[in-house]
Amino acid sequence: MSTAKPIMIEFRDVHKYYGDYHALRGITANIRAGEFFSLLGPSGCGKTTLLRTIAGFEGISSGVVLLDGKDMANVPANKRPTNMVFQSYAIFPHLSVEQNVGFGLRRDPRPASDKAKAVEEALEMVGLKGYGKRAAHALSGGQRQRVALARALILKPKVLLLDEPLSALDKKMREQMQMELIRLQRQVGITFVLVTHDQEEALVMSDRIAVMFEGEITQLADPETLYRRPNSRKVADFIGTMNFVPAQIISEIGDVVEVDAKGFGKVTLHAEQCMGSATATGASVGFRPETLTILFDGQTASDRETMATVTEVVYYGDMTYYDVKLDGTDQPVRISMRNVFGRPVLDIGTRARVAWSPGALVLFR
Amino acid sequence: MKSPGLRAYAISYLIFLYAPIVLLPIFAFNDSKIIAFPLSGFTTHWFAEMWSDSQLFRALKNSLVISGTTAVIATVLGICAARATTRFAFPAKGGLLGLIMLPLVLPEMIVAMSLLVVLLAIGVNLSFLTVILGHVLICTPFAVAILSSAFQSLDKSLEEAAYDLGETPVSTFRLIILPLVMPGIISSLLICFTISLDEFIIAYFLSGADTVLSAYIYSQFRFPARVPAMLALGTVLVLVSIVLLSIAEYFRRRGIAKTGGKDTGGFL
Repeated sequence: MSTAKPIMIEFRDVHKYYGDYHALRGITANIRAGEFFSLLGPSGCGKTTLLRTIAGFEGISSGVVLLDGKDMANVPANKRPTNMVFQSYAIFPHLSVEQNVGFGLRRDPRPASDKAKAVEEALEMVGLKGYGKRAAHALSGGQRQRVALARALILKPKVLLLDEPLSALDKKMREQMQMELIRLQRQVGITFVLVTHDQEEALVMSDRIAVMFEGEITQLADPETLYRRPNSRKVADFIGTMNFVPAQIISEIGDVVEVDAKGFGKVTLHAEQCMGSATATGASVGFRPETLTILFDGQTASDRETMATVTEVVYYGDMTYYDVKLDGTDQPVRISMRNVFGRPVLDIGTRARVAWSPGALVLFR
Repeated sequence: MKSPGLRAYAISYLIFLYAPIVLLPIFAFNDSKIIAFPLSGFTTHWFAEMWSDSQLFRALKNSLVISGTTAVIATVLGICAARATTRFAFPAKGGLLGLIMLPLVLPEMIVAMSLLVVLLAIGVNLSFLTVILGHVLICTPFAVAILSSAFQSLDKSLEEAAYDLGETPVSTFRLIILPLVMPGIISSLLICFTISLDEFIIAYFLSGADTVLSAYIYSQFRFPARVPAMLALGTVLVLVSIVLLSIAEYFRRRGIAKTGGKDTGGFL
């Protein structure tokens, strides 16, 4: 269990101002040793700034950043046990691959032969064995990425910081590097902190994710919780697709809330499905597209069933996305269905039976 | 270039620009004291005369010392200014940079006159130093322009990466920044050197008893017999200029190729 692991990075009420601009607004969070931790958010949310406060490139206006229990306030970037993989990779263009990878060993007292061996090992680890003599500027994007990783990991930092490292790669390469980063992180056991604006990337790679908006951490949770139980509409909108229908709260007794959700009727929800403070008005019920299922001939719902009309069909090969109007609503919602061989794709205008379960609903209020 | 009119214009323009320079070596090798066609025969006599002119060599030596020193000082100042303006934000940055670049558009005559007046008023004797002072003033804008583009193309995260990997700001500058802007530095040195070498007005106004090359050449043109030797000297100077600028351009392009960047204009 990751809860048993010691805390590697601790933010205590960290604020950062750029002039009048309040970039970080009271960040308090812990990152555990050996964790793959992601800072996720739209551009300008402060995620990169927060990463740079760990590296020491950005000072903080107030609060405390602890790294392995030590206050980093007066520790400059070159004395911190962190290394960074930059968005632009920051490969030194005038040096060879091995000079780049071995750059951080310049102040290492070990003999040159040991250092050369370390460089060779680091290159092998990132799958660039034999590339040492090449000129750095002649490498492809994916190879630069690997050199940047080897260069940072060769110093065996306590924390590896990754600033949108995959954003410059094409889709295939990105997916491959995601897998490699996960493998690498398990292999070296170093704490990884990743900054990304790509929610899918964060879900795929992270043990835990901090979702940031406007300088604040809105939700900090593991990927599954974030996806299934986003704590606000903002988070729900940012991660994956979520449908919303208006809802009215009928009664609230203890941990049980009864709502009237448009298209679903009266539903009983439990406290863990209810997000937001009780005083706010304009409640809505959200659900993911894959939690609703269109029933085909002969199939029966295991839980609840309602009628709907198909208004749009988008065929993706392995999946089909249906926009349907649940009876009694005028806004269509999206349902994603895995395609099954031999089963027809429905036409627009078809009447369909839709199966759903109250457990998949989340109340935002 | 479809229109014959445009083509004729382009050709005559090029002739107007370069014919006088082509005439220089032609008359430098012509066996006559009179600079006129028809040519009267081939000789290297004028080069020999130039070669044996000790005053000329004295002036040349003065010029080399002045140009070399000017190039180094202007480039160092240029590095400081370029680094400061590309990396840091500070109040009145635009205005300060404007003041640095002003001599670029200021008539040299005005620079020379005002410097002369000020120097004489505060009692400074005219010497090499005063010429160097004037030349640094007019060369620094060129150095800043060349070096700014070199520093500008430098990715800030390269510095941060070196710092992140344990280097100090000083060693980062030495190991990363300096090698990457070196082509710009060499370009700046060569161009400042060339500008200073053939600068006349400031050199003429601010040099004391010791004359520099450009002023010496001008003084020799008063004696018709000396003109062919000066044309020989001119021929040599044109060659040296072409070689120096080519070297500067070579380093600039090599720097771009080395860092895998894209060529965005240059001098040649």
